Amino acid sequence: MTPEPEGGEVAVAIRGLTKRFPGVLANENVDLTVRRGEIHALLGENGAGKSTLMSCLVGLYRPTEGHIELATGGEPLHQVDIHSPRDAIRLGIGMVYQHFKLVANQTVAENVILGVEGVGFVPNMKKVEAEVAELGERFGLKVDPTAEIWQLSVGLLQRVEILKLLYRGAEILILDEPTAVLTPQESAELGVTLRHLANDGRAVIFISHKLDEVLAFSDRVTVLRAGRNVATIDTKDADKAGLAKLMVGREVLFDSDREDHDPGAVVLSCDNVSANDSRGLPAVAAVSFEVRSGEILGVAGVAGNGQFELAECITGLRSLTAGRISLHGDDVTGISPRGFIRRGVSHVPADRLGMGLAGGLPLTDNFIMKRYKSAPISKGRFLRKRAITTLSDEYIKKFAVSTPSSATPARNLSGGNQQKAILAREIDAGAKSGLTPLIVAAYPTRGLDVGAIEAVREALLAERLRGAAIILISEDLDELLVLSDRVMVLHSGENMGVVDAVQATKERVGLMMAGESVTQ
Amino acid sequence: MRTGRLSALLLALLLALAACGGDTATTTVAGTDDTQAPTDTVATDDITKVAFVYVAPIGDLGWTYSHEQGRLAVEALDGVETTFIENVEEGPDAERVIREFAQAGNDIIITTSFGYMDPTLAVAGEFPDIQFVHISGFKNAPNMSNVFGRMYQPRYLTGMIAGAQTESNIIGYVAAFPIPEVIRGINAFTLGVQAVNPDAEVRVVWTNTWFGPPEEKEAAEALLDAGADVIAQHQDTTEPQKAAADRGGYSIGYNTDSRSFVGDSLLSAPIWNWANKYVPIVEEVRAGTYDGDESFWGGLETGLVDLASYGPSVTQDTIDLVEAKKAEMIAGEFDPFCGPIVDQAGTEQVAAGACMEDGDMLGMFFFVQGVIGEIPEE
Amino acid sequence: MIRFRLERRLDPPRYLNWVVPVVSVLLALVASGLLLLAFGANPIDTYVAMWNGAFGDIFGGEFYSVSETLVRATPLILTGLAVAVAFKMKFWNIGAEGQLVMGGIAASGVALFLPDAAPGIPQNLVVYGLLMGGAAILAGALWALIPALLKAYLNVSEIIVTLMLNYIAILWYSQLFTTSWKDPAGFGFPGSALFPEYTWLPRFFNTRVNLAIFIGLLAAVFVWVLLSKTRAGYEIRLLGDNPEAARFAGVSMFRNIILVMLVSGGLAGLAGMGEVAGISHKLQQGLSANNGFTAIIVAWVAKLQPWAIVLVSILLAAVFVGGDQIQMTMGLPASVAQVVQGVMLFFVLGGDIFSRYRIRVVRQHAEVTA
Repeated sequence: MTPEPEGGEVAVAIRGLTKRFPGVLANENVDLTVRRGEIHALLGENGAGKSTLMSCLVGLYRPTEGHIELATGGEPLHQVDIHSPRDAIRLGIGMVYQHFKLVANQTVAENVILGVEGVGFVPNMKKVEAEVAELGERFGLKVDPTAEIWQLSVGLLQRVEILKLLYRGAEILILDEPTAVLTPQESAELGVTLRHLANDGRAVIFISHKLDEVLAFSDRVTVLRAGRNVATIDTKDADKAGLAKLMVGREVLFDSDREDHDPGAVVLSCDNVSANDSRGLPAVAAVSFEVRSGEILGVAGVAGNGQFELAECITGLRSLTAGRISLHGDDVTGISPRGFIRRGVSHVPADRLGMGLAGGLPLTDNFIMKRYKSAPISKGRFLRKRAITTLSDEYIKKFAVSTPSSATPARNLSGGNQQKAILAREIDAGAKSGLTPLIVAAYPTRGLDVGAIEAVREALLAERLRGAAIILISEDLDELLVLSDRVMVLHSGENMGVVDAVQATKERVGLMMAGESVTQ
Repeated sequence: MRTGRLSALLLALLLALAACGGDTATTTVAGTDDTQAPTDTVATDDITKVAFVYVAPIGDLGWTYSHEQGRLAVEALDGVETTFIENVEEGPDAERVIREFAQAGNDIIITTSFGYMDPTLAVAGEFPDIQFVHISGFKNAPNMSNVFGRMYQPRYLTGMIAGAQTESNIIGYVAAFPIPEVIRGINAFTLGVQAVNPDAEVRVVWTNTWFGPPEEKEAAEALLDAGADVIAQHQDTTEPQKAAADRGGYSIGYNTDSRSFVGDSLLSAPIWNWANKYVPIVEEVRAGTYDGDESFWGGLETGLVDLASYGPSVTQDTIDLVEAKKAEMIAGEFDPFCGPIVDQAGTEQVAAGACMEDGDMLGMFFFVQGVIGEIPEE
Repeated sequence: MIRFRLERRLDPPRYLNWVVPVVSVLLALVASGLLLLAFGANPIDTYVAMWNGAFGDIFGGEFYSVSETLVRATPLILTGLAVAVAFKMKFWNIGAEGQLVMGGIAASGVALFLPDAAPGIPQNLVVYGLLMGGAAILAGALWALIPALLKAYLNVSEIIVTLMLNYIAILWYSQLFTTSWKDPAGFGFPGSALFPEYTWLPRFFNTRVNLAIFIGLLAAVFVWVLLSKTRAGYEIRLLGDNPEAARFAGVSMFRNIILVMLVSGGLAGLAGMGEVAGISHKLQQGLSANNGFTAIIVAWVAKLQPWAIVLVSILLAAVFVGGDQIQMTMGLPASVAQVVQGVMLFFVLGGDIFSRYRIRVVRQHAEVTA
């Protein structure tokens, strides 16, 4: 049971909420109260029921059992039925989703009033712009109201989303994993903004699985595990290890043991590599670096600064506009993706279902993606079913992929298990090439729960020890600094410098991510 | 799982259909359940069953509509029942439909499109006691006659009317397919035009349709744009006639008298009166006197082909002229394809004093002088 | 106020695999029945007539009706497989109609002109069957290659190109049988001469069922093996499910577009050969009868599964063949038959949504209930 909060008026109380989907119990008898003036973190692994719970609050789902009480709009706490997101907004509840819902070629002010009831057919944009600017000023959410959305950075887009909620008079703000797309500095600024909002008497619910942020930003933490509220505690009484244990249900090791060993020969060498993004605009600008056998090179950067394109360049998926790539000393510039695969290049792509897996096809089909052209998976033009089954069973067992069967469509697996499946395939494909493998892992732990993150990190470290050259692209600076030997920072597609991971500080890397060139 | 769902669906369909079939097998309508392979089903009672196979909907106001008028006349006879099926494609489906009619115990089956010729012949071979009548073809069997009308005769007459009416001396002809029947019609029409107005020319546009409202409308409009003030046609829609009316021109129709749909811009039309052939066929079959493998190509004298009503703008002089010519044709004193006939290239095709044989007419593949246009070949 | 909302089923229960199709069919029969009643026809009598038309007294050992259903199904099987292969890769080949026609033209060309042009070739069914089949496959495949190349090189929409090529093929074919390939002994009437008898596909049991249906069944085996047992089929499935993942795996989109369209066009071409060599024995009006378009429905209802395509083709053919009875026995206009067929398809296709979604009744009233 949740202890009733001391002080501060209760803004929302979820009472005994159970949400059942066919065959799945997403939330079970959850109680949660959030007060005005507090930042309440909702912590839990993927699949713990955080999103479902919040979806009930914003009217996307109806609870199977239990109810919701609200004290918004000046009314006392009373039971409400929330049928739709529109109802939720009317009742003063708003949510910032992970994927922003903004219209790219409209201005900030236009986006803010989009869908607001009571705005005339021809709105007075001057007035709206002034109101938006005033709101921004008050809560530390400065954005030019006349700027068009496509001109703004990710951090600013998030501000627009928050402004939208404030303009609609939201008294309860829910933010779903808001720091995933931000630099450390931007995250810190967001923390300040959230505090402003709380001080203004609003209730802020902050969904996260990042323990550091939860500890830094929130007043209280509710931990969900397997759909149940396992604890609600004051943040000042919490520590990282304790929260992690509550979340996972067992002890978790935070410092991966990265054994020191000397890197070997150069596997990949990039020489002034430049490339365009999918719209034809320059994305990677004359980047040069090397990766050696037995080494993890971390690539840091705010999302959208060329990491994605760089990963495609060094796996053969994107053609270069300039520069040269060599693998094992051979120039491979311009060869086909298959050529890269044959030379031992593995790729854990950023977008699991977008690129890494064919979601509608069974796991077996996904496992053979890199090996279907050679024995024993195929013989001549035909696939060999028995070999495929053997391979699939081996992958599932070795990487502990949790799935009903190897015939299950990849889409139906959880994110963590999808990632394990990709890792199993990619690590094996590299090993089967006969050359020192190069593993390009882009955001391999994004969106995964603690258990899966551990598994992925351990797998990468094990490959490093076995001599693989690894490029690790991540938005999680802690992860980069823990796992990598060296960290390269990209800003606007340029290499801002490579730092030794042991000596680097988060602050320094953060500055480089913001565009300050720092050389060692 | 996908296959599972699908096979379930199929099975369900089968079961559903099977249930219907099973339950009511005993109440099956007589005539449909004795569909055993070719058994001969001559009517032993005195009801004669006649079935019609149509290529288009009966509401086409053209070819099929004209046959439907014939069927209604047959239906009105005592002791006769008729059925029909419309919209049957000229292709693999036709043979099945004809055979199903044969198995359903019909005594006479009339198939009303050229493309039904071979299917009709095939089924006729299997049912020697059923009389088949095929319209507009050229193949026969002991129990399959081929029947058609000398439509070129009334077309010649409408050519005379058009020739007398035109002021621009340009007459448009919206032609269907480049086959002898259509070419013969264009030639007869042109000869009729030139008989009253040697300065007039007939311009031909092909649509490659029998029933293509948009194409036929566009073709007529193109001809009107080119200066034509009278539009004739060979297709089964009234679109060319309507196009002419919209532009203040005149038209010559086809198949039936479409004045009530088109208005008085319609000068006249060569038309079919299938009742004048279908009723005698049915009566003769009932009497046992029908010549089962006749090749019938009837002209104005049989009433199978005729002329529609005259439009109010047709002068009495023209009407007198046309009626006189019609009387000559009925009396056998005149035929449009009696010489001299000269083709577009100036070669004499029929010498003065000679008349074209039926066989040559059926394979006619040249345009006479006065036609502006080409027969597409190769 | 009550609203209805579609909600995706996260985990569709298995019993729906049976319940949904059965209910769909029953609803289809009820809905068509109401329609028939409105036209003054007894629905039960009509369904009996349709069943008799499509299957006849099949349990009493009478096979004529069902043979006609199989004849009608044959080109649907081949064209259904043709579009399924392309659809599996999400390559929208709407051009099976034109590819069928091209196959029919090529087979007719061989049957009509090769015996005179090359009298040395043995004039028997085996040799000519293979030559006609080869020509039909080649013609269909080459016709399909045009949109494939345009897509592969220039990224031109295959939907538009395949659709438009249908009309070109159909117009060319009507041009052929009304002009240059016209039967010289046919008094100038449209239609080619009859093919020599040794080019006719053998028919069975005194019905019109001919070798082409076995070609169709073989093709189903071929497509099944291709899609589920071979490397090429794997690449096609991968491209169809997620082209990005295929690119990631080093699969060439270019190569597969061409391969798939060669197979697809070839199968449709074979359907054309089956129609001219098995049924009409000449090139004439009515070769395609919309099979290439109906094939899209077949492939869709069959969820692109080769064996299901065979079954769906037969069932759809039964609905078409039985549908004649709505006119012939019940004396209703052709349009009623088409509406009844449409209603049945609508329910069967539309019913599928209920196996993936559920309907929720949402009562909307005052937002606050104290």
